[in-house]
Amino acid sequence: MNWSIERKLPLFVTILLVAVAIAQLTIGYGEVRQASRALVDKRLPLATHVLADLFQIPTQRARITALAKDPAIVAFLHSRDPADRARALAAMQRITNDTSSTGSLELRDFGGKLLLRTGKFAVADSVLVSPRSDSATYGPFMRQDTTLFIAVTMAVGAGPAERSGGIVQQVGRVGLNARTPKALTGLAGGDIVLLVGNAAGDPWTDFATIVPAPPRNVLTSPTPVRYEHGGEMRRAAAAAVPGTPWMVVAEMPSRLIAVPARDYLRSMAPIAVLIVIAGALLAWWGSRRLTKPLVHVTRAAEAITAGDLEQRVSVQRDDELGRLGRSFNLMAEQVSRSHHDLEAKVAQRTQALEGTNAELESFSYSVSHDLRAPLRAIHGFARILLEDHQTKLDPEAQRLLGVIDQNTRRMGQLIDDLLSFSRLGRKELASARVDMTEMARVVADELRRAEPERNGQLEVRIDPLRPAQGDRALLRQVLSNLLQNAMKFTRAQPHAQIEVGSRPDGTETVYYVKDNGAGFDARYVDKLFGVFQRLHSTEEFEGTGVGLAIVKRIVQRHGGRVWAEGKLNEGATFYFSLPDGEN
Amino acid sequence: MQSKGIEILLVEDNANDAELTLRALKQRNLANQVHVCRDGAEAMDFFSAGASPVPKVVLLDLKLPKVDGLEVLRRLKGDARTKAIPIVVLTSSREEPDIERAYELGANSYIVKPVDFEAFARAVSDVGLYWLLLNHPPQ
Repeated sequence: MNWSIERKLPLFVTILLVAVAIAQLTIGYGEVRQASRALVDKRLPLATHVLADLFQIPTQRARITALAKDPAIVAFLHSRDPADRARALAAMQRITNDTSSTGSLELRDFGGKLLLRTGKFAVADSVLVSPRSDSATYGPFMRQDTTLFIAVTMAVGAGPAERSGGIVQQVGRVGLNARTPKALTGLAGGDIVLLVGNAAGDPWTDFATIVPAPPRNVLTSPTPVRYEHGGEMRRAAAAAVPGTPWMVVAEMPSRLIAVPARDYLRSMAPIAVLIVIAGALLAWWGSRRLTKPLVHVTRAAEAITAGDLEQRVSVQRDDELGRLGRSFNLMAEQVSRSHHDLEAKVAQRTQALEGTNAELESFSYSVSHDLRAPLRAIHGFARILLEDHQTKLDPEAQRLLGVIDQNTRRMGQLIDDLLSFSRLGRKELASARVDMTEMARVVADELRRAEPERNGQLEVRIDPLRPAQGDRALLRQVLSNLLQNAMKFTRAQPHAQIEVGSRPDGTETVYYVKDNGAGFDARYVDKLFGVFQRLHSTEEFEGTGVGLAIVKRIVQRHGGRVWAEGKLNEGATFYFSLPDGEN
Repeated sequence: MQSKGIEILLVEDNANDAELTLRALKQRNLANQVHVCRDGAEAMDFFSAGASPVPKVVLLDLKLPKVDGLEVLRRLKGDARTKAIPIVVLTSSREEPDIERAYELGANSYIVKPVDFEAFARAVSDVGLYWLLLNHPPQ
């Protein structure tokens, strides 16, 4: 998979957008849920007020208080006189007639015995717990079959201790019908269901039917509580109704709390998806716009690398990418120009070199041919003179002819050596794996056979040599020249020792030829490998001084080095290194 | 032109070399039937003269005036009448291209003239002996 910027950037932006969308939806969902939940809690105080209004608590309480202080009632309780009784009954009937209340009014003594009653219906004897003489008191909800009652009561007179006192109480039926819960829900708002009942327990109602009391923990908890009711989870909060032993519970199915959050998700999720898609497309477009010039520059650079130096990019932008394109074109321009300059220079130099080479070629041809012919004539005719006219020549003349003879031979040798040296620079190198041990043995044997008289005094030791990679014929010449030198310069030794060896040295192999011969003065070591450089006289050791120069040239053409160590009369060691082949 | 008895044709522009060559051949008694041409054109004329006798060997220098040795070699070996004549290149050049070219053109032998007179004389007389006495040409 090729993870180019063109792909990575949109992917990155898309991932970012998805993450943001998920975070937003999650947080939004949580907040909406929280808000729905708070609804229940906030509506609760409102619900208690609604109930207070519903039961007209202050009005009822005021009415009962007024009745308890009515002089007719007080007089009747005091006297139990029939005339007073009629007045008291009239006072009570005035209230029941006045109000549209479905309740009834009762007058009882402290023992609970019913003295008077007005109103549309009656329930079985109901006793109020400790009525107070200073204010009207609400009692708990009471139930008779499917009917709920509530009573509000007040003591007349000082209290039970006063024989002349009594109790007034109003008993009202709680109107239950299916419309009420809906109305209440409407008042409270949302899907909140209001329940009311006794703080102490049953009976409870939702204003439509009598329902079981909520669990204890719902009623006692100061904070909203989740509980299961009717097969579903509900969230409920409870509050006491002031001035009564009642409690009101506002509850809502938990699933309804989630509904707005779900609605939120339902409406927001598609928007988020749209945003993500739009963002991804935008990022894709943007990244293409961004990477396209880069791709062009890359292609152009590749083309230039492959050799098409005229490749350029088209630039139509003013931003950083535009600058990149312009800089690239400038650079390509310069590369192309310097390349052409270089090519022109190389061609020029090559031409010059070819010319020089051709000149050298014809020069060495001339040397080879034209220089040798006169030399041969000098030598030949000097010999003829010596052979044909010997009797006419005195010894000095013969000696002089001998000198001519010697020098022409030497001159011939010099020309030959010089030619073979100059040929080395022009010859193509063949490359092969060369068994140096075998080659050194063959060369040494040949040289030894040329000097059979030294058999007893010459020891040549050839260690196993590391194989070399190079031109067989030329490497043979290297070994031959070095061994020839070693044999030449050990000629004076009664016991000549020559040693050939090799050792690896990094990426190359060092070969050496060591002898115990005449050696050389280390001060002149840098002259050893020069052409026609000799450290010994011709009388001492023959030679033209080209052998080591040839060795140096061959080794250098193979990429190696040559050097030597030695001391006068203490032998010499000649080293050459060759780079190791691929294998 | 020369009549009967021509056995060696020496093509050599250098009078000294020619003299040394003849001397070397003379020592082996081979100089009597030698004809010397001083340049390539003369050599070509020798053969174009028609009924002239066929030499047993041609000793050919390469660097010649007018028509050079390699050209002479090419023409002789390219002509059905002369291509069977053994041609020995006898030259001062030991340049590889010359050697290769000479053999390509059909030279029978290539000898580099030694500077040393003894070696030179030995080479020339050996060549003469070989081609005149040992070699058996087609009839």
